[in-house]
Amino acid sequence: MNGLIYRNLKIYFSDKSGIFFSLMGAMISFVLYLIFLSQNMIHSWSSVPDTKLLLDPWLIGGTMTITAITTTLSSLSLMVQDREKNVLADLNLTDISFLGIQFSYLITAMIVGVVMQLIMYFMMSGYFLIADKSALNLQLLPQILGIAILSSFIWTIFNLLLLSFAKKVDTLGKIATIVGTASGFLAGVYMPIGVLPTSVQNVMKYTPALYNTAMYRNVLMQSQLQASFKNLPSNIANEFKETMGISVKLNQHVLTIQQDMLIIVAFAVVITLLVILISKISRRVVISKE
Amino acid sequence: MKLLQTTSLTKKFGNHTAVNNISLTINQGEMVALLGPNGAGKSTTINMLIGVLQPTSGEIIFGEKATNINDYRSEIGVVFQNSVLDEKLTVKDNMMLRAKMYSRPVIVQSLIEKFELESIWKQPYGSLSGGQRRRVDIARALISSPKLLFLDEPSTGLDIQTRTKIWEILDQLRKETGLTIIFTTHYLEESENADYVYIVDQGKVIAEDTVWGLQKKYTKNILQLTYTNGTSQTMTIDNKDDAIKILSEKGPLISDFEYRPGTMDDVFMNLTGKEIR
Repeated sequence: MNGLIYRNLKIYFSDKSGIFFSLMGAMISFVLYLIFLSQNMIHSWSSVPDTKLLLDPWLIGGTMTITAITTTLSSLSLMVQDREKNVLADLNLTDISFLGIQFSYLITAMIVGVVMQLIMYFMMSGYFLIADKSALNLQLLPQILGIAILSSFIWTIFNLLLLSFAKKVDTLGKIATIVGTASGFLAGVYMPIGVLPTSVQNVMKYTPALYNTAMYRNVLMQSQLQASFKNLPSNIANEFKETMGISVKLNQHVLTIQQDMLIIVAFAVVITLLVILISKISRRVVISKE
Repeated sequence: MKLLQTTSLTKKFGNHTAVNNISLTINQGEMVALLGPNGAGKSTTINMLIGVLQPTSGEIIFGEKATNINDYRSEIGVVFQNSVLDEKLTVKDNMMLRAKMYSRPVIVQSLIEKFELESIWKQPYGSLSGGQRRRVDIARALISSPKLLFLDEPSTGLDIQTRTKIWEILDQLRKETGLTIIFTTHYLEESENADYVYIVDQGKVIAEDTVWGLQKKYTKNILQLTYTNGTSQTMTIDNKDDAIKILSEKGPLISDFEYRPGTMDDVFMNLTGKEIR
């Protein structure tokens, strides 16, 4: 199985334009933020001190989620390509079992997701360190790595569900476009969740993206939140957290980071069951398992 | 010794029967051709033989006893019609990574020499010419030292030199290792490399024999005369004495002549009433 995982990784990382396009969603959010989003938000939160230092990690948190969504999808697409190009039939002649082949695509996608998230983290933090003198706190690294692994995991499974409907390479591009665009909104990066209508907010609560972003922001913004809000009443701090999607409010209850994590795990379980169910119903496996 | 046998192999796609009751017997060490026009069902048959497609009905028996599909898969190598290697990776990566996917020991070095891969070893597979690709494809199929090698249209789109080269290598391999080879082709002259030929048309085997046997059975010898005045005449004459008689009668009038057995073209023509598409 190692040989196949290594092959899959090599294919992903040798395709420079593929990497670029799989980071498109993340880069759009980053550039939009630099051009005008940050100005807008600093303006609307002018009562809070050091807004810029608060918003930089806010943006990083959301962009990390987008990165996890789009890069795992891009890596997992190889599965569909291999099936269509008959590569799967060839791999099936090796000593790797059918299940082993499927798992290596998943493992590859998870590795790609983690690596690309970390790369994006260092690139963005590096930029803000230079541009805004935002501190880069390396002590957060273990937590970030943990969240990166969890988000890679959930989005790999989520994208597996999406790709269950894609039998052709042609469909892949369309799915990637939709996912790339939607992820920025669902993760609450292009616009903070609080400024959106309630109905849209409710839709957002049905995908793992919001909770994923909330986890990242909780960790990344924690110290700056304490610093910025220490002289302000706690209701302003709470309002800020809810509007900006740092804490998610579910049925009048404000979720903690642990609860965010549990919700993501619950999503993982439900999606896994759906994937199994779909693979049972649609027996459109190109290659027979026997 | 029988290596692979199929009995009444049939594959239906909806209402369309792609392969209809095909029975093949392949002996150890033989080179067997499935010859037929495009769309005759050759690739479908190969795909069933390598376990990619499930037959609608019929049986495939490998070796003496019934084997399970995994044991069988480890005994075969396949050169697919469309390449299955990764264009962005180098020949080296393609070969070495495939080698890693086998749990048994594999020998890549001798394949590099046999298929002259040193010069293209570090090039991306996608940058290779058609002939170079085919060499890598066949080398990849042989990584696991299979007993039985399948080639699906191995020389489509290749020039004559490359084609000849590939058949030379395959012949040499057979001599050295006793490899059994099954290939499909729609090139009539290519089927002449085979020990045994199955002619397939519209999903059925319409004739099977050795090349010589097919020529004997389905064609007559051809006598072609070229006259001194520049015109020529072709006639089918199966008896050499008749031919000699005609030649001696017309001796003074002819400048040249040819007496030959029918080719695979003639076999195909006589069997199907049409030229191969």
